Parts: sequence; C-alpha cells; structure tokens
Amino acid sequence: MKRQIRLALLMTLPTIFAGTAMAQMSATEIVKKAELAAYYAGDDGRSAARMLITDAQGRKQMRQFIILRKDQSDGGSQDMLVFFSRPADVKDTVFRVVKHTDKDDDRWLYLPGLDLVKRISAGDKRTSFVGSHFFYEDVSGRNTEQDNFTLLSETDSAYVLEGKPKDPSSVEFTRYEVTIDKENFLPTQIRFFNAQDQEYRHVEALKIETIQGHPTVTHSKVEDLINGGSTEMQFRFISYDLGLPEDIFTERSLRTPPRQWLDLKD
Amino acid sequence: MSSKLVDRLLDLSINRRRWVYWGLLIITLAFVAQLPHIQIDTDPENMLLADNPARVFHNQAKQTFAMHDAIVVGVVNQQGIYNPQTLAALIAQTDYASQLDGVIPADMMSLANVDNISQGEPGTIRFEWMMKTPPADITQAKLIEENIRRLPMLLNTLVSEDGKAAALYVPIKDKNQSYAIAKALDSHIQTLDSQDEWHITGLPVAEDRFGYEMFVQMGISAPLAGLTIFVLLFVFFRNVPFIAAPMILAMATVLITMGLLIGMGFTVHIMSSMIAIFLMPIAVVDSVHILSEFADRYRQNGDAKAVIRQVMGHLFTPMLFTSITSTVGFLSLMLTPIPPVQIFGAFVGFGIMLAFALTVVFIPAYLSGLSPKTLEKFSSSLPDESKSWLTPALYRLGKLANSHARLWLLGFAGLFAVSVYGISLIQINDNPVRWFKADHELRIADKVLNSHFAGTYNAFLVLKDSNDWQAEVQQTLQDTAPRLSADSQAFLQTQHEALSQGQSLTELVLALDDYSFNAAGKDSEVLLELISTLETLQSQSKTFLSPEMLNYMVRLQDHLASTGLVGKSNSLADIVKTVNRELFSGKDEDFCLPGSSDAIAQTLLQYQSSHRPQDLWHFVTPDYRQSLIWLQLTSGDNQDMTAVMDKVADYLDANPLPPGLTMDWAGKAYLNVIWQKEMVAGMLNSLISAFVTVMLMMMLLFRSFWFGLLAMLPLTLTISFIYGLIGLVGKDYDMPIAVLSALTLGLSVDFAIHFIERLRATYAQYRDWHKTLEVMFEEPARAISRNAIVIAMGFTPLLFAPLVPYITVGVFLASIMAISALVTLLVLPSAMTLLKSRLFKTNAA
Repeated sequence: MKRQIRLALLMTLPTIFAGTAMAQMSATEIVKKAELAAYYAGDDGRSAARMLITDAQGRKQMRQFIILRKDQSDGGSQDMLVFFSRPADVKDTVFRVVKHTDKDDDRWLYLPGLDLVKRISAGDKRTSFVGSHFFYEDVSGRNTEQDNFTLLSETDSAYVLEGKPKDPSSVEFTRYEVTIDKENFLPTQIRFFNAQDQEYRHVEALKIETIQGHPTVTHSKVEDLINGGSTEMQFRFISYDLGLPEDIFTERSLRTPPRQWLDLKD
Repeated sequence: MSSKLVDRLLDLSINRRRWVYWGLLIITLAFVAQLPHIQIDTDPENMLLADNPARVFHNQAKQTFAMHDAIVVGVVNQQGIYNPQTLAALIAQTDYASQLDGVIPADMMSLANVDNISQGEPGTIRFEWMMKTPPADITQAKLIEENIRRLPMLLNTLVSEDGKAAALYVPIKDKNQSYAIAKALDSHIQTLDSQDEWHITGLPVAEDRFGYEMFVQMGISAPLAGLTIFVLLFVFFRNVPFIAAPMILAMATVLITMGLLIGMGFTVHIMSSMIAIFLMPIAVVDSVHILSEFADRYRQNGDAKAVIRQVMGHLFTPMLFTSITSTVGFLSLMLTPIPPVQIFGAFVGFGIMLAFALTVVFIPAYLSGLSPKTLEKFSSSLPDESKSWLTPALYRLGKLANSHARLWLLGFAGLFAVSVYGISLIQINDNPVRWFKADHELRIADKVLNSHFAGTYNAFLVLKDSNDWQAEVQQTLQDTAPRLSADSQAFLQTQHEALSQGQSLTELVLALDDYSFNAAGKDSEVLLELISTLETLQSQSKTFLSPEMLNYMVRLQDHLASTGLVGKSNSLADIVKTVNRELFSGKDEDFCLPGSSDAIAQTLLQYQSSHRPQDLWHFVTPDYRQSLIWLQLTSGDNQDMTAVMDKVADYLDANPLPPGLTMDWAGKAYLNVIWQKEMVAGMLNSLISAFVTVMLMMMLLFRSFWFGLLAMLPLTLTISFIYGLIGLVGKDYDMPIAVLSALTLGLSVDFAIHFIERLRATYAQYRDWHKTLEVMFEEPARAISRNAIVIAMGFTPLLFAPLVPYITVGVFLASIMAISALVTLLVLPSAMTLLKSRLFKTNAA
C-alpha cells in the first residue's frame, strides 16, 4: 500500500515540474535574456560615461570616458573601445577589449604619457576598473556560463535569481542575488554575499531610460557595504546602431582615436 | 602652635569615639561604592593632552591616510616560510582574521590578500592575487618567493628578507577590541596544526596586556604592601590590636582616594594604578610616630587619654609639616603637562592630607578607646629597645657621625661631585614595549619580528602642499563671468560660494560639466573653455604627481636608508617605480620614475586597477596635495627615533622643500618622543618648584634661613647621588624615573624635619652638643629609621610586579628612602657640628 503511494508520487512529480517550466522561463533562460538586454542592445552603441568614485571618507574622484561597442553576434563576441577624457592627466588613455564568451577576453591599453601600448594579460577580471568600485567584469559583463542559476522568487514585476559560481576559488563571493525586471529584463539590483553569507557588495540600477527603443540603464551605483565607499556611473549621449565600422576596433585606434565617432555633438 | 585647635580636635575624637568610627566607616563605604565604575586607560597617547598639536596632527594623518592601529601576527619557520604547509596556514589565518568583528578587511595585509603585479606573457602586464590558494608544492611556493622579491613595497614588510618569517597585519576599528581579536587569532592558530612558530604583537595588543597587568599589580602588589607594612609594625610593636589602627587608616585612605578618583570620572592609568601602593606606607608613617611615642610614654604614665594628649601636642606640628611637604612634592607633578602624571600627583597629594586628617582624628580615638587590659598587655609585650639590633647600630652610627665631621662632609662633597658628573651622562630614553619584562611573550615577539623584518615600529613623514590653489580658481571664475549670460553668471556665483565652503575642484568641474550641456550655444563654448582652464589648474595643483616632488622623496628615502637607522621606507615613489617597471620591460633598468606628471598619473591609474585600489590612499590623498612616507623602524627606543628625526631635519636644512610645502611627523614612535620631551622638561619644572617650595616651608617651620637650607641638604645629596648612579651605570632615564625625582623630594625631607625638630628640642634641654647628639641617636634616630624602613619596605612588593616601570619605582623609592635616612643621620650632625655657632646663635636670638 505504502509502496503504491510512493510510486504514484514518483509518477506525478515530472509532470508537476514540466508544468511550472512551461508557465515560467527557466533561470538560465532569464539570465540569458537579461544578458542580451543589458550588454547587447542594438548592433553597436556609443555612450559617454562618467564615474564618481567616493571613498569611505567621502573624498571624491572623477573618471570620464566614451565607450564604443560593436557586437560580432548577439550574445557572442564584442569589440569595445574605452577613451578617457577626464581627469586631464589621464586624457587619451585608451582601453581596447575583445570580449569572448568561449575564452578569456583580449585586452590592450594605451598610455599616452608613456607612449606605451601594452597588452593586459587575461588573469582576474574581478579587479577594480580604474580605481572605482566597479570591476572590469561589471563593465564588460560577467559570462553567464560561469555561474549556476536558480530562481529564488518571483513577483509581478521581477524575478530574483541566485547565482553560484561554478569555480568558487576564482571569485571573492560565494553567491549573489540578482533582481531582473520582468518588463525589460534589465538587472536592477545585484547583492553579493561572502563566505559568512553577509551582503558585502551592492549594485543597483538607479535610472532606466528607453533609448531608440532599447531600455538602458543610464545611472547605476555600486557600494562597498563592509569598508564603505561607492561609485556612481552615469551614461549620457547614448546612441545605438550608429554603424560603427569594424576597422576602428583595431590597435591603430589606441594611438590615433577615431575622432569622428567620438564627437558627442552630432 | 595652634594648641587650642589640637585640643579641640582631641576633645572631639576622644569623647565622640563612636561618631569617629561610624563617620569613617560611612565615608569609606560611600567611596568604595564608586570603585566598580573603574575605567582602565592604557593608551600611551593619553600621555599627551587631547588637544596637543602633535597628537592632533598624528590622528589627523592616521585618518587621512587610513593608517589604522594593527595587530601584527608573525609566522616564523627556520627552514623558510615558502613551503605549502606554512603558506596554507597563513591563508587560513588571513581568511579567519578577515571575517572577525572589528577588523577592517580592506586594509588587512598578508601574502594571502595582496596583488602581484607582474609581466604575464611577453609584452603583457598582469594583476593577480599573490596567493589566492595554497601552493601545491615547493616549486609553486618558490614562485611566490620570486614574485615577492620583485615588489619592494611588500618585501621585508609581508615577508622577511631572509624568507624565514611572514606577517599578517590586522587593522582594527577600535583599540578596545584588540584583546578579544588577538585572543580569537591566537585560538585559531592552535587549530591550524601548524609546525611553525607564531607570534602576536602590535601596539593595540601591548596596550591591552598592559591594562591586564595593571590589574594584576593592583591586585597583588598593593595587598602585599599592606601585608609587609603589617609585619613590620608587628615587629616594632608586637601587638595586633594596637597596630590595627594604622592598618585601618591606610586602608581607608587608599579606598577613599581611589573611590574619589574613579567617582570623579578619571581613568586609571599606569601612574594612578600605583596610588594605592604609594599611599599605604605614607599613610602609616604619622601613626608610627604617634605609636612610638605613645608606647614610650605610656610605660611611664599609665593614663592613655593624658598620654595621647601629650603625644599629639608634641607631634602635631611636625606631622602637619611633613604631610604638607610630601603633598607639595606630589602636587608639583601637576606642573608636568602629562595628564596621567598630573592626576597621580593630585590624588596622592590629596591622599596624604587625608591620611594626616584621619591620623589626628582616628588614631587618638582608637588609642583612647583601647581597654586598659589591652594596653597593659601591649606595654608588657613591647620589645626592649636596648636589645634590638637597631639600637646598637644607631649608636655606632651616631659615634661615626659625631667624630670626623670634616671628613664626612669632604666625603659627601666628593660623592656629590661624582654624582653631578654621573647626571651629565644620563641618557634620556624610553620605549613602552620595554615596560614589559624581557621574558614576556610580547617582548619576545617584538624581538623575533624585528630581527626578521624591517621593523614593527612605525613613523610617518607627512608632506603637504599648503599653497593656495583656490585664489587662482576664484579669479578665473570671476574673469569668465562677464562673458556669460545672466543665468550662467548666477550659476557661476553659486559655484564660487560653494568653492569657498570647501567644495573640491573635482566637484566644481563636474557641476560645470553638467551645466554646460544644457547651456545656450555661446555660453556652452565659454564654459567648455573655462572647464579646460580649470582642468589645467587642477592638474597643476596635484603636487605629488610631479616627478620633481617624487624625486625629492626618493632622495630623502635614499638618505634615510644610508643612515642605517631606518629598516625601510615606503612611499608613493616606490609604487610608481614598481608599476613603471612592469609596464615596460619588467627589468631593473625600468625601475624608475616616468618623466611627466601625466605619465605618473597614468601609471597610478594602472596601479588602481588591482584588487586593492584603496592602497594608493595610504600614500597620497585623492587631491594629490598630501603624501605620506612610511618609515619602518626595528627599534621603538625614543633615542633611535630622535636620531632619525635629527637626520631628517639635517636633510631638510641642506635640501629645503619647495616654497609652501611642509613636512611633519606622525606615528606612534614619534608621539612617544614628544611626550617624553614634555615629560623631561615638565619634570625639571616640578623638581625645581617643589625644591623651592619645600625649602621656603622649611625656613618658615624652623624660622631660620640656615636650618631651612640644612634641611634640604640630605635629600639634595640623595637625589643627586641616585640620579648620578643612573647616569654612571647607563640605565635609561625613562618615564618612572622622571616622575620620581620630584616626589622623593617631598618624602625624604620628612627625615630632616623630624631630626632637626628633635635636635633643637634636645639641645634646648641639655645645652650640650655632644650630649644632644648622643640622645639624638637614641629614640629620635630610631623613629626616623623605623619610618625609613616602613616606607622602603612598603614599596618592595613592587619588585614582584609584572611590569618594568613598577619594578623601577619599587627599587628606586626603596633605595632613595633608605639612603636618604642614612644620609640624614650622617650629614646633618656633621654639617651642624661645623655650623654650630651660627645655627644656635641665630636660634638663641
């Protein structure tokens, strides 16, 4: 008798799971969709970014740069150029990144003061992005293949997913919770937890605007909850599908920036 | 003098005994109730007033550059720490420490959480964790060694040059938590199953241990002093009920004084923790005089009440004066600008006067209240004075003093000359870590870690550009305004005001940038031009990005290294040189500074792309107008720090800083030098003023210039002798020794007061010099010797104290009391013999 009940239960379980999967998207699907929304809007894009870095004592630093991006394929490799304009002493410093989904990114650096082009070795991408509280990975996007996702909760307007690293030794967090807006699939909040399951890092989208039909985060903030300090990043003059030529995403642009694509007034 | 007052006082205490007992009990209990509120203060910084400029600057520098107090954990392995087991243990310990409450994880430093900056594949630069996971084998461990040897900022700070020791710096938010954190770290080490030798040290730990040892001292030494005094009194008087009186008195004095100190909200510092042990022997001294005389006279005249009246009438004035002189000695400490010393002086001074007041009220009440039976027993059990060892010894001493007066004086003059020479040799030096005994675990850790590393003692040189950049910016704003529309002008005006209220140039540029995007066509152009001008000004204002300034710092650091006094120095220049090397070839020839400010700024932008971007702000402020050079010293001796300060001062004289730039010191090692200097200067003040005050009082008491002068002679000789000895044997003149000079003066003059007072009375009686001296070496000399023994022995329990300053105080006070009693008995008769005619003529007149 008992055995029969257990058997009956086993029979019904798969159907229950199949039912929920049909009604909802799987965690991985949500994440993939969010990745496209956040990092692959349009075929190319340009924006002027401004970072305000505030340290634990409230002292401020500014960084200003223009980002050019061109997708090789949606959800695939991307070319990126980052041209610094402020502060004045780092003006014309350039980063060039080729983002890959199947291997480490390629990164180059040009320092005008030293007249030096240097390749940045792959290594760790969770290092500070030019002294801010953002990591390189936050700017280029963390490869979704590196984490396992589960759906924690769901409201009318958002999904809350949990990401756990497949290789815990490669990162400083043990898990993170990301809130994804159901309407536009943009991640609006990410909470990182350490080994003590204490939230120590908090990333939040403060403002979302729709530009050329693409919902875009135009103001975000990352906070260091343990040591204090935060960085705000604002994006302005965003445009998509400019038709950026492929040949500007080369080493030549490091020393000779493609000025016509960097003029924001057009 | 004031015999009416004394009589009235005696009426009260003899006839209202219950009032006296109950009064004393209630007052004592009221103050005892305050004792649980005790707050211990072990911070050496508090040796300076809270608003002391050096202290304020030090704390400001600590805050500006996020230089926290840190617990230092050291791991030592004689075969070298570059092996998988030791490094795994270091990682485990680092991980454990980083999640402890009260720790500042971002600024923690060990091999396990710093970055390696290196060349990856050819032509690439690479930032990665130096040691995120334990190395799998010796080869990997050796690779870490290779990496660390290339990073001058870390070598000899995180790992010793000899590769045998590694350190973990655990910065903490609040010093009061350091004991708990250190304890947690220690117990975690026990779980590591590590074959290595571990040490935990650092100033916060030392301070906490210090507080603990203070309690031990107060809990053991003070009761032990009480016991010693009790035993001594018993030897003298052989009767417990009789000597219970001074013991009760001493206890009441100590409890009331400490209760008052704590009740008034003062913290108990190393100095005030010694109040009990100071007050106990001093409090019983007056009673010893009363008991001695009472015993002598009671045998002749059986009426206790009458005898006590006699004795009090006789002793009131000298007791009052000895109490006042001792108090003056202690109160003079208040002239030293060191708060804990001031509090100590004030409360011991108060305690002495309290002891005097209690003595004249309580002791007569107590003695007159003893039953005739007790008194009978007491008087019959009194030892026969002529049979004690003291009497013949004093008799022989009297003989000696009485003959060869000139020879004695000549001998003392010679000794004085040698002492003065000895004093000229005195080395002023201190080091709070040496307050612990040589075999204390902290001293051992200190020794071990400093023998391996570049030093655990820190001093900071803070360079600051004080030139005004605002004026030029304001001027530029003003010049630009007329070219703008009214709206934009108004906006500029608000920025002008914000700037005067402390807005940074970065914020100004941000605001202008925002505004310019919405501004009308022409305004926008003008504003862009303005922004560009302001950015140029901003770049120019970043003093510590200029190659000239960094080169100046490099030369200064080279100079410091050449002196051999500094284990190592770290500065912004070291960071720039290291990153520059890795950006280029990775070879030694590129370990140099780039040639322009922009290049340096870009180098630092790279440095900030690591896991620890905030490390930059330990060496420069985000506006690049202040910079810090961190000096690691292997010795915390003030003498060594002073030598470094002198070298830096010389260097500055020969190589002046550009106009408007200043360089100031911060760091614990420096603060210790500052308070020591204040202490030495302040002590000289205290000593001189105590000397003058006491001398004037002596002249007043004896109503004679010469007697006054004479009374100062024994203690002058004694103090110079002791300090001369310190100079001759080469013992450092440190905090406890400095403090004791002024207060021994107040204590040792007592002997002279009693001796002269009694001598004059005796001489008036016999009118014969030789007879007088003979009598003087009977009972009066005995009373003086007894007192000297009580005080000297009362301080000896300090010899068993766990901390060196207590021991120093014990040895020093015990010997100064013994020597000054001896000198009094020798030098006063000799000097008086020679000055006899002058002294007694004036006296007779």
